[in-house]
Amino acid sequence: MLFPENREQVEAIVAKAREEGKALVPLSSGAPHLHGASVNPQAETICFSRMDAIMKIDRRNRYARVEAGVTFERLIPALAEAGMRLNAPFLPRASKSVVASMLEREAVVVPKYQYDYTDPLLNVEVVCGSGELFRTGSAAGPGPIEELKADMCLPWGPGSIDFLRFFTGAQGTMGLVTWATLKTEILPSLSNLYFIPADMAEPLVTLANGLLLNRVVDDCVILNRVNFAAAFADSAQEESDLAVKIPEWVMLCRICGFERYPEERIAVYEEMLLDACAKAGLSALRELPDCDGLAGKVNTMLGDCDRRETYWKLRRGGEREIDFLAPPSKTPALVDILCGLEGKCGGDLGITIQPQVQGRAYRLEANVFFDGSAPELPEQVLADILPELHGNGAFFDRPYGAMARLVYRDPVSTEALRKLKAIYDPDGILNPGKLCFTGR
Amino acid sequence: MRIAEHIYREFAAVVGERYISDKEYILAGDRAKTPEYPMEYHSADIIVLPASTQEVVEIVKLCNKHKLSFIPFMTGALPYAYPNRDGTVIIHLKRMNRILEIDETDRYTVIEAGVRHIQLYPELRKRGLCYPPAAVGPGGSVLANMTSTDGSNHVQHGFSRANRYLLGAEVVTPEGEVLRVGSLQGDAGWFCPDGPGPSLRGIIKGYSGTHGQFGVITKIAVGLSAANGPAEIRSEGISPNHKVYMDHPYSRAYVFNYPHIQNVCDAMLALGEAEVCSTVQKYFYLPLTLMMTNSANEFWEKWEGGYKDTMNMPLVIHIAARTQKEFEYEEKILFEVAAETGGERLPPELENWWNEHMDYFMLVNRLQSVLRLGGGWMPNKIGADSVQHMCDVAEAMGEYIHEYTDTGKIFNAPESYQIIPMEYGHFAHIEVLFMWDRCKPGVMKGVGEFRARSRQEDIDRHFHSETPGSLMPATMDLGPLYSNYHLWLQRLKQSFDPNNVSNPMM
Repeated sequence: MLFPENREQVEAIVAKAREEGKALVPLSSGAPHLHGASVNPQAETICFSRMDAIMKIDRRNRYARVEAGVTFERLIPALAEAGMRLNAPFLPRASKSVVASMLEREAVVVPKYQYDYTDPLLNVEVVCGSGELFRTGSAAGPGPIEELKADMCLPWGPGSIDFLRFFTGAQGTMGLVTWATLKTEILPSLSNLYFIPADMAEPLVTLANGLLLNRVVDDCVILNRVNFAAAFADSAQEESDLAVKIPEWVMLCRICGFERYPEERIAVYEEMLLDACAKAGLSALRELPDCDGLAGKVNTMLGDCDRRETYWKLRRGGEREIDFLAPPSKTPALVDILCGLEGKCGGDLGITIQPQVQGRAYRLEANVFFDGSAPELPEQVLADILPELHGNGAFFDRPYGAMARLVYRDPVSTEALRKLKAIYDPDGILNPGKLCFTGR
Repeated sequence: MRIAEHIYREFAAVVGERYISDKEYILAGDRAKTPEYPMEYHSADIIVLPASTQEVVEIVKLCNKHKLSFIPFMTGALPYAYPNRDGTVIIHLKRMNRILEIDETDRYTVIEAGVRHIQLYPELRKRGLCYPPAAVGPGGSVLANMTSTDGSNHVQHGFSRANRYLLGAEVVTPEGEVLRVGSLQGDAGWFCPDGPGPSLRGIIKGYSGTHGQFGVITKIAVGLSAANGPAEIRSEGISPNHKVYMDHPYSRAYVFNYPHIQNVCDAMLALGEAEVCSTVQKYFYLPLTLMMTNSANEFWEKWEGGYKDTMNMPLVIHIAARTQKEFEYEEKILFEVAAETGGERLPPELENWWNEHMDYFMLVNRLQSVLRLGGGWMPNKIGADSVQHMCDVAEAMGEYIHEYTDTGKIFNAPESYQIIPMEYGHFAHIEVLFMWDRCKPGVMKGVGEFRARSRQEDIDRHFHSETPGSLMPATMDLGPLYSNYHLWLQRLKQSFDPNNVSNPMM
């Protein structure tokens, strides 16, 4: 495993790999690596854990620039100290690389801040597979980065191409990202958390759609009973205890106030929230019944990563998951398909539904929690369900492993992606065999 | 040069005789209308009007077969829409003008290339939805706005640029294949622009548009957001003496004038942090005065009679709230920020112009007024980065623009630039709109000098205030300054357009 400390070393590693015909796979996060994108037996691993500088936090212009090895556990408090927050995934692993998460277009918890699927990733510096260095958007220039006066926060370009998009979802097959600029938001000075319980997911999906159309809520995530208990309990016993107290589905949402008149802001949007809930026949509760103290804990955890010794998804020992995007209209039917796995998948079935891009889409994640001893059944069950999900409108935008065979069926677009790969990684040294790119 | 008869017949067989022409008087209508731009213009050899994606496919394949260039064309607002060499086919997309779908639940609309803002925007507004249209007027093509212009707009403070609203896309590649981008690629509909895996959406549009250099974009999905305010807009009078009202108790425009651009910057950032107001914009006072008047004489009277001084640094605000409480909350913060940052509210007779011309916040329909002063105009810089950086760019311009405004080389309006924040102050773009009298002998020399100076100043100061564009000769000079992006652009072009037929500019 190679541990570069700076961009120059990354460039040298790529140059040497090209010269010697060796393959490389980037790794930025601590274990475990659940999706397997950074695991490649054909390749030498280039680990970015030593490139872990928080290069800049700019409160006035609301962005941060971090190296690829910076983890959520480091960045979140650093931003909080500056009065800001990151629009992060729901309870991510503490050791997860922020840049890797953003490059993979992971779902974020505050959909109103997400204008695009690439948000909050703004810009990257990348050593391409060709060995050339490139910076996207307003980080491109003019001139060397040391002299550039721009804040390097604009994500588009340079010029007529949205280069950033070529590196997102790429699983390190196009280039090795050394740093990224991330959009950050003002840390709320006040917030109200609401639990909206339901027997089924559908009314919550519809409610979230309407609330986000009008930018009423800040954080917003929908969890089934299993995932709610797994996420917010600190032990297996607590998880079991909590699971019997909570409803089948819960939407968590927050309304935040900022520096100017936070109480008034919350009052304005709380009125809209309560009105929408009343129309939908739902209730927005400040506490779940029989769950004293839970609200405070959830409120804290929503804005943080999972700092517990065992990551919430791995408390049982084993976990397998799939995730995909869907438009709001197709989400309830897809949830029903996932719920059909209950009792058949070799473990407990958790489901998380996260509204994205201001509520115009949802990312659905199904997790099977098992004791870790027999992964074959959950793996098989999740693999078998993919065609049915696909046939009902699921979009597997981040295909890992065998899922790639299902999604890369369109010959024209697949060939177009291979053209891109040939341009950015002409020798095929970066993470060969992933996505629709065959080995060298 | 005119194409051979048998080739003409092949194109005619695709679109039908009625929808093809090589007649001089037809082609003349689609020649460049901006001779002041220093480009070489040619007439197209033929113009064809396809009615479907399949017809576009066949046209593109014929162009490849006969080594003809092609340019997808709709409204021709930019000079890149016109042939720069002989042997060019204009593919005019105005017959492909159907709104294919409006999905209110999933909040997107699917349109063909020929759909115009005036066709789409009112339909959406009736449903309480909208998208951010560029300030190109009601006749502009929505698809061209989303894919081929820079996509800036007057409501991007709350909305963002058009880039964020371009979802799935169908593209006829330069070789004549149908490329489906985003969730379309995964047979999952139009809702998502990215994936699976790396996003091909990157070749559709960057900061600027590709101007047809990567094929013909035939259909797109546009993401929709809530349109606060009334579903239908009331208008009175006949253009240019018309007024457009937004009859809604929680909709109101405000204008504050500022002493300095850095005060404006502070106000923009404060309003963004508080996430209030749907429009926040430092507007340019020269086009504004032109829009506020109905003749050149009236312009001069007003301009010299005080408008120039009264609103040289105007911050235009629109609050479009949904409830009385929200309106009061936003207005309270607006007034507080204005007071803190030194904003002075314009007198009612000036501010009310905005409330009587609310089309400005939807589809601007008075843009033609800006051509009244002799017709020469050009947007300059058109870059973007943080709000602070754009305001620094504007401030620095004061160090050299007077050499051109004070000497009559360009119109004497040194603060005639606009800065519009995006995404509640996360970014902003700048546009300097300068004007000159086209009838004045030798005027283009001074115009050229100002453009060159403006660019060089920004390069020397390492300001990201002017982004290079699509693949053209100037790109070769600028590319090395911008991460060698010209090399990547060339490689992409060679790979996706091996015959160099899709609006080649090199």
